[in-house]
Amino acid sequence: MFVWNVDDLNADQVKAIEQLGSVFLTACPGSGKTRTLTYKIARELSLLTSDKQRVVAITYTHRAADEIQERIERLGVDTSQLWIGTIHSFCLEWILRPYAIYHPELKHGFRVINAHDTERALELLCSQHCGLRTFDCGHYFTSTGYVISCPDWKQARVDALLQQYWADLRANRQVDFEMILAYAYQLVRDVPSISILLGSIFATVLVDEYQDTKEIQYAILGAILKASKGKAKAFIVGDPNQAIYGSLGGYAIAPAEFSALSGVAFKEMDLSVNYRSSDRIVTYFENFNQLTSRISAGGKYKTFPSLISYDYSTNRDALVAEVVRLIRYNIETMGVPPNEVCIVGPQWLPLAGMTRQLVAALPDYSFSGPGMVPFARDIDNFWYKLARIILTEASPQLYIRRSRWAGEVIAALDLAGINSAEITRKSLLRASNGIFSAETDGLKYLLECFDAIFAALEVDRRSSPMLVEHYEAFVEGSQRRIDKLVADGATAIAEVAMFRKVFDEKTGITVSTIHGVKGTEFEAVIAFGLLEGMVPHFNENDKIAAANKLLYVICSRAKKNLHLISEVGRQRWQNNVYQPTDILLACSFGYDQIP
Amino acid sequence: MHISKLQLVNYRNFARATVKFEKGVNTIIGENGSGKTNLFRAIRLLLDDNLLRMAHRLDERDFHRGIGEWRGHWIIISLEFTDVSQDETIQSLFLHGAGNITAATVDRATYNLIFRPKATIRQKLGELTAGDHAGLAALRAEISLADYETIFTGKSSADFGDPNVYRSLVGDFDAVTFPTELTPPDIGGIVPGMFSIAREIGFTFVQALRDVVAEFQNNRTNPLLTLLKGKSGEIDPTAFAPISALVSNLNDAIEGLDDVREIRTDIRDTITDAAGETYSPKSLSIRSDLSDEADRLFQSLKLFVGESEVGYEGGIHELSLGGANLIYLTLKLLEFKYQKVKQTFANFLVVEEPEAHIHTHIQKTLFDRLNYDDTQIIYSTHSTHISEVSNVENINILGRDGGVCEVFQPAAGLDRGQIGNIQRYLDAVRSNLLFAKSVLLVEGDAEEILLPVLIKQVLGLSLDELGISLINIRSTGFENVGVLFHDQRIRKNCAIITDLDQAFMDLTPDPLDSDADIEAKKRALGSQTSGAARASRLNAFCHGNPWLTAHFAQHTFEVDFILAGNSAAVVSVLNDVYSDAGTIAQAKADLESGDISRYGARVLTMAKHVGKGWFAIILGKAITPDVHIPNYILTALFSAHRPVTIETLASILEHRLKVQLASGLVFPAQIDAMRDHIGRFRRGEIDLAAVRAEMLTAFPGDRINTILAML
Repeated sequence: MFVWNVDDLNADQVKAIEQLGSVFLTACPGSGKTRTLTYKIARELSLLTSDKQRVVAITYTHRAADEIQERIERLGVDTSQLWIGTIHSFCLEWILRPYAIYHPELKHGFRVINAHDTERALELLCSQHCGLRTFDCGHYFTSTGYVISCPDWKQARVDALLQQYWADLRANRQVDFEMILAYAYQLVRDVPSISILLGSIFATVLVDEYQDTKEIQYAILGAILKASKGKAKAFIVGDPNQAIYGSLGGYAIAPAEFSALSGVAFKEMDLSVNYRSSDRIVTYFENFNQLTSRISAGGKYKTFPSLISYDYSTNRDALVAEVVRLIRYNIETMGVPPNEVCIVGPQWLPLAGMTRQLVAALPDYSFSGPGMVPFARDIDNFWYKLARIILTEASPQLYIRRSRWAGEVIAALDLAGINSAEITRKSLLRASNGIFSAETDGLKYLLECFDAIFAALEVDRRSSPMLVEHYEAFVEGSQRRIDKLVADGATAIAEVAMFRKVFDEKTGITVSTIHGVKGTEFEAVIAFGLLEGMVPHFNENDKIAAANKLLYVICSRAKKNLHLISEVGRQRWQNNVYQPTDILLACSFGYDQIP
Repeated sequence: MHISKLQLVNYRNFARATVKFEKGVNTIIGENGSGKTNLFRAIRLLLDDNLLRMAHRLDERDFHRGIGEWRGHWIIISLEFTDVSQDETIQSLFLHGAGNITAATVDRATYNLIFRPKATIRQKLGELTAGDHAGLAALRAEISLADYETIFTGKSSADFGDPNVYRSLVGDFDAVTFPTELTPPDIGGIVPGMFSIAREIGFTFVQALRDVVAEFQNNRTNPLLTLLKGKSGEIDPTAFAPISALVSNLNDAIEGLDDVREIRTDIRDTITDAAGETYSPKSLSIRSDLSDEADRLFQSLKLFVGESEVGYEGGIHELSLGGANLIYLTLKLLEFKYQKVKQTFANFLVVEEPEAHIHTHIQKTLFDRLNYDDTQIIYSTHSTHISEVSNVENINILGRDGGVCEVFQPAAGLDRGQIGNIQRYLDAVRSNLLFAKSVLLVEGDAEEILLPVLIKQVLGLSLDELGISLINIRSTGFENVGVLFHDQRIRKNCAIITDLDQAFMDLTPDPLDSDADIEAKKRALGSQTSGAARASRLNAFCHGNPWLTAHFAQHTFEVDFILAGNSAAVVSVLNDVYSDAGTIAQAKADLESGDISRYGARVLTMAKHVGKGWFAIILGKAITPDVHIPNYILTALFSAHRPVTIETLASILEHRLKVQLASGLVFPAQIDAMRDHIGRFRRGEIDLAAVRAEMLTAFPGDRINTILAML
C-alpha cells in the first residue's frame, strides 16, 4: 500500500484520498488539487489487486498529464497500470483505435488531423462561403447532435459550411479533434460491449478539471462507468468557479446529474483552503466566487501585504509602457523573480504582438509566450515528438521525461509501420545525444538532427507514408510560423536557441492567455484587456457569470501582487471603443496605487 | 476459453490449412516432416511470450514454397478462441484487444499475425490495371523484405482459409487484380505492439528432446522455483515466525561452535600480527547467514525423488530421463493450477512429441486425468500408441502430399454415433490408418496376409514403401471406417476390397441333388444374394466420394486367385494341406480341371480344412513373382495409390528385370537394353506408353505387361 509523509498532505486532502468509493471533489484555487489527484492515483495504483486492471486519469492538457505522471513516478509508484492523458487521447486509444472496425465511417482506417490542419481546411471553406471567418466555425458535438457557437444570424451558413467540412473529412477518412469525441460517443452508444469491457478493465476513473468537460465527454465516461455496474470507482475533481470553456461546451455538471448518468454514488467533498495566495488576494478574488462555499488562505503568504491595483485610465498606446513599469516594479523593487511574473490577456487579443513589444522594451529579460514558439506545436505530430528530445539536454532532472518521450516516439514509429523491435528508449536517446551540429538556424538544425537520428537507427523515414505526411506538415507549419514572426520583427526567432527555449523549464517572464494560465501560479500577475466584450466575450450567453469566472481565474493565479488593467481607447467596431468589464468596474475594493 | 481454430496461409509448408481444436486435450498426428513443428511455431509466434520479438519478423523462407514467387503475397497466422465472455472481468483486457463483438456480446476472439507488404506497395499493386502482367512483374521485382511489415490484429471477421477471401484481401496474381482498399476491416483492428495478448494468458511450450535436468539446474527455468516463488509471497508472517526463530537460533549455534570461534580468533590475531593494531579492522566476526526470510529459504529447497530403490530419494539428476521428464511435466501442470489462482484465465500447454519425454502408458494416464478448467493441451505425436488415447474429435492429422502439408479432421461432420463407432474402432493397431498416405480396407485374414506378399513379389515394392496401410476391418463393417475418408475429413484415398460371393456352381435345383447338395446350393444362393446387396450398398456408399472406391472379388479371394491363373501355385502347397496321397491327387485334379465349380469347391475345402488364415500363410510360400494378381486387387491398389510416380513405375520395371534375369531364360544384353529404356523413362525422355511398349516388345511374357496396360 502506498503511504506518504505526514507533511505531504493536509487533513482535508487526506480525507479526500482515503474516502472509500467514488468522490466528487470541489477544489478551490491553490488548494493542492493536483497534489491530491497525484496521491489519489498513486494510492489507487497500489490498491489494484489484478494486473489486468487499469487506473485511468483524464486531464485537461497533455502537459498536466505529463506532470502528474512524473510526480507519481517520483513517488516511487509503478505506473505501468496507469493510463493518463486528455479525453481526446483517451477516446482515441481506448475506443476509436481498438473498436474502429465497428464504426462504418472508421472501419477502413482513419487519420487524426490536428488543429492546424482543421484551421487550414476551415480557412479554405470560409473563402468559398463569403463573409465567414474561421472563428465563426466554432462548434462542438453533444450526445444528441452538435452546437454551433456563432451568433444566430450566421448559424445556417456555418452549418452548411460544416456539413461540407465533415463530408470532406469523411471522404479523406480523416477525423478532427471534435469528431474524435463524436465517434467515441457513437461507438459507446451503439456497441454496448465496449463499455462493458472498458468498465471492467478500469478500476478507477479520475477526471481532472471537470468544470471544463463537455456534455458528450460526460456521456462517454458515464456510459463506461454505468456498464461497470459499480466495479469502477470515479474521482471527479474541479472547480465550477473556473469553468471558462463554456463557449466550447464545457460546464460543471452537478454531482447528482453525473450520478444519474453514470450510476455511481458520489461522496461530495471539498478543499477550501488556499495555500497559494495572501489573505488580501483571496479576499479579492472571493468577489468573483459564485459558489456558496467560502475560501480561506492558509499558506506561507497568508499574511503577505499584497498590492492589488486596478487601472482603467491608461490608454492603449501607453499600455506596453505601463506593463513594463509594473514588471520593473515587481522585479526590481519588490524582488519578485522574473519567472514568477505573468502577463495575462484575453485570448481574443493578439498576445504575440504584446510579447514582441515587451521583448523589445525589456531586452535584459527573457520571455516565453505564444509568439515565441517557432514551430508547429502539434503534440500528435511524430516530428514534434522527436523535436522534444532533440531540443532538450540530457540531464538527470530530465531523464524520466525524456525517456518517456522516447517511449512515445517508439510507439509512434510502431504506429507508422516501422519495425522498432531493435530500438529501445536508451538507444534512441543515445542517438539523439550523440548528434553534434554547428547549424544555428533552428529549423535547419532540427531537420539535420532528424536525418542523423534516422541514420543512426538505420531507418528510412521516407518508407512510411505517415512519417512523410507528418514531416511535410511539421516543416511547412514551422516555416509559416517563422516567416510570420520574422516578418513581425522577431528576427531571433529562427535561431536554435529560441527553439530550445520552447522546452526550457520556466525561466523568463510568462505571457499567456487567460485560458493558458489555468492551473499555474505566479507571485505577480499583470492582466490587461479586461474589457466588456472580451472579458466576458460578446458571444457568451450569461455574460456576468462568464466575466466572474475569467476574473476568478486571473486573480487566483497571484500569490502576492495583482495588477488589473482595463486600457482605454481600444477600437471596437467602427466608431466605438471598448469599455472596462462591467462587474470589475462595479467591484468596490480598496485598491493600491503602484508608485 | 480455449483455442478453437488455427489457420495458416502461406506459412512454411502450409499453403492453406485450418486446424481445429476442442476444449481439453488435443492431438496433432503426423509423420515426420509433415509440419508439426512449423504448426507449433505458428502458435508460439502468437502466444509465447518467451519467443523473442525478433522472431515476429518473418522472412522469405517463411513463405510457402508452393506459391512460387513470394513477393506480394501475405503470410497469415490466425488463432480463434471460443468460450469467452464479456462479463468475466478477468478476460476484459484480452477481449479489449481480440474480442469479436457481434450483436452486443463477445462470442469469440481472434488474434492474427499478418506479414504483408507495406501500404505503399499495396497501393501500387492496387493501381495496376487488371491483366497487366508486365506491370505486376516489374513491381514485384522491386519488392524486398524491407517492404514487408508484421502486424498483429484482433477482432478479425475474415475466413482466411478461404481462397476467395485471400484473393479479395491480397489480390489475384493470375488475373492481376488487386484491392484498392488498403485497410480492409475484415482483417481486424491492429493490436498495438505494446499491448501483448501473450501476457494475458499462460502459455508453456515443451519442446521435444528437452534436457530436463539442465532446466532444473537453471534458476530461471527451474519450475520448482517458480512454484515456490509464487507460494512464498503468501506465507502468513505469524506462521513463519517460529521458523525464523529456529533459523536464528541455528545461526547462533553454528557461530557458537568452538571450532568457528577459534578460527575467528586466529584470523584476528594473524591480521594484527601482520598489519599491526592501527591498520587492522576494528572488529571481525564469522557469521552464519542462513536467511530467515521466507522467499530466500524457499529457494534453498530442492526436489528429491525416490524412483526405483525403496527408501532412497535422489536428486533430479539421478533420475532416469523418463522420470525427470515426468516430474518436469507435473510441475508445469501444477504451475498452471497456481496461475489460475493468480488470475490467468486461460492456460495453454503445447507439448512436442511427448513420447520423447515419458513412457506412453504414464502419458496416457497423465493426459487422461488432466482436467483443469481453462487448460488446453495440444500435443503432437507420431506414435500410434498415443493417438489411441485421444478422442477422435480432438485429433488433427497432418498429411504431406509433395511439398504441401494438409490438415484433416477425421471426425468433421460426423454424428455422435458415427464418432463413437470410429472411436471404438481405432485401437492401437488400426489407428495407423490415421498416419497412412493411402489405405486398403479388407475384411478377411487371407487378404490381410496375402496382399502384401503378392505386391512385394510381383511389383517388388512393400506396402510401406508405397505408403499404403492395409487394414483388416474384420467384421466391423466397411462403412464405419470408410466414413473417415471424405472431402470434409481425411482427404486420402481409400480402397475397399471385398467379395461379391457369386456362386460358382449351377444353382438350378436338380431332382438328383442330395440333401447336402440342396443345402450347399441354398447356402451359396444366400451368400450370392447378400454379396450382391453388400456390393450395391458399398457402391452407393462410395458414390460421389472421390476418396473412396470399392473393389470386388467375383466369388471369393481364394477362388478368384485361381481364376486369375494361379492354380499351379495352389497345387504347389497341396503337400502342406493334405498328407493322404489319394486326396492330394484328387485335389490336384480338381485344381487343374479348369472347371470353376470343381476348383472353387476344392480350394475352399482346403482353406476350411486348415483354417483360412493358416491356409493363407501356407499359400504365401507359393507366391512367386510370376503369379497373377487378380484384377480387382490391382484396380484397388491403383485406386488407393495414385498417381503412380515415375519413380515407382521405374522401380517396378527394374524389379521385373531382376525377375527375368533370375529366370535364366533371357540374355543379359536384353536386360541392359531395357534398363536403358527405364533410365530414359526416369529422366523423362520417354513417356509411360513408350516404356510400356519397349517392355512388351522385349519381354512379352512378363506379368507386368498386363498390369502396366491397366495404367
